[in-house]
Amino acid sequence: MYWNSKDVSVFLEQKEFVDTAVIPLLLIDGQASQLKQNASSAEFLMALTAFIENQFKGRVVLMPPITYTKKSNYQQLAEEWTETLSEMGFKHLFFVSSDMAWGTEASELNVIYTPSIPLENMDQKLRQSVLDDQLRQIIPVFANRWAKNGQ
Amino acid sequence: MSNNRVSRRQFLNYTLTGVGGFMAAGMLMPMVRFAIDPVLQKAGGGDFVPTDKKVADITDVPERVDFAFEQVDAWYTSEVTSTAWVYKNGDKIIALSPVCKHLGCTVNWAGSPDHPDQFFCPCHAGRYEKNGNNVKGTPPLGPLDEFEVREKDGLLQIGKTRPNTLV
Repeated sequence: MYWNSKDVSVFLEQKEFVDTAVIPLLLIDGQASQLKQNASSAEFLMALTAFIENQFKGRVVLMPPITYTKKSNYQQLAEEWTETLSEMGFKHLFFVSSDMAWGTEASELNVIYTPSIPLENMDQKLRQSVLDDQLRQIIPVFANRWAKNGQ
Repeated sequence: MSNNRVSRRQFLNYTLTGVGGFMAAGMLMPMVRFAIDPVLQKAGGGDFVPTDKKVADITDVPERVDFAFEQVDAWYTSEVTSTAWVYKNGDKIIALSPVCKHLGCTVNWAGSPDHPDQFFCPCHAGRYEKNGNNVKGTPPLGPLDEFEVREKDGLLQIGKTRPNTLV
């Protein structure tokens, strides 16, 4: 489900089934040399999380991405969001990012790290299969965490 | 200069008829176009989408077939990729929609090791038999939808979804 009013009203009705939030973490690094790279990895991350949403539509809500800069306090961001989303009733939080810093700065967040793959030069078919492969690697991560925390 | 001079009255008559004619045409043309629009509408080709799956390659084990089609939202056209689970039941080709009838996740064939010959929904452990019938006691409330299928030049084409006709 997406973060729009239609899907959120389903979420409110089906809270027992929809218990997972997927949150893309997007880094915007102000340096001119990094802009293109940032944009490309944002494109990839949004495409990948949309794929995850499509696969697990009935159990996850894909949140709008959290966009931050190099100067952001990773620890504080992590705490704020975990708290807010837990209050909303999500039992499982999956943060997805292609910024490696999350592994070291806020390791308790269990960010799913995916290396960013530049999609812009691929045709539709290749894009699809690349994202499919990535999704296939992520599915077990979801399944495991769901199995571990009951249900 | 010709001999028959155009009088002021004639000149005004001609001009007014001309301009009036254009105005009348300007009003009538769209009306006529609206009236005959249904006749000019494109037939839409039956809405079957070609896939690159050879019909001869389809077995009795459900297999994933992706197909892409153009979706038009007002003036915005985007390419949408969709999936079907395709298998042969005798000679008949069956294409089932992968959308779980519970809350819309994507189901997988043999997605659970415990149930190798059923469709499995990873979200809430919903299960469907091979013909799409939902297994009682799991969350889904109805059978999987079915796609219309046809064969063209040896390749599979997939059409609209319809409620399951096999169950």
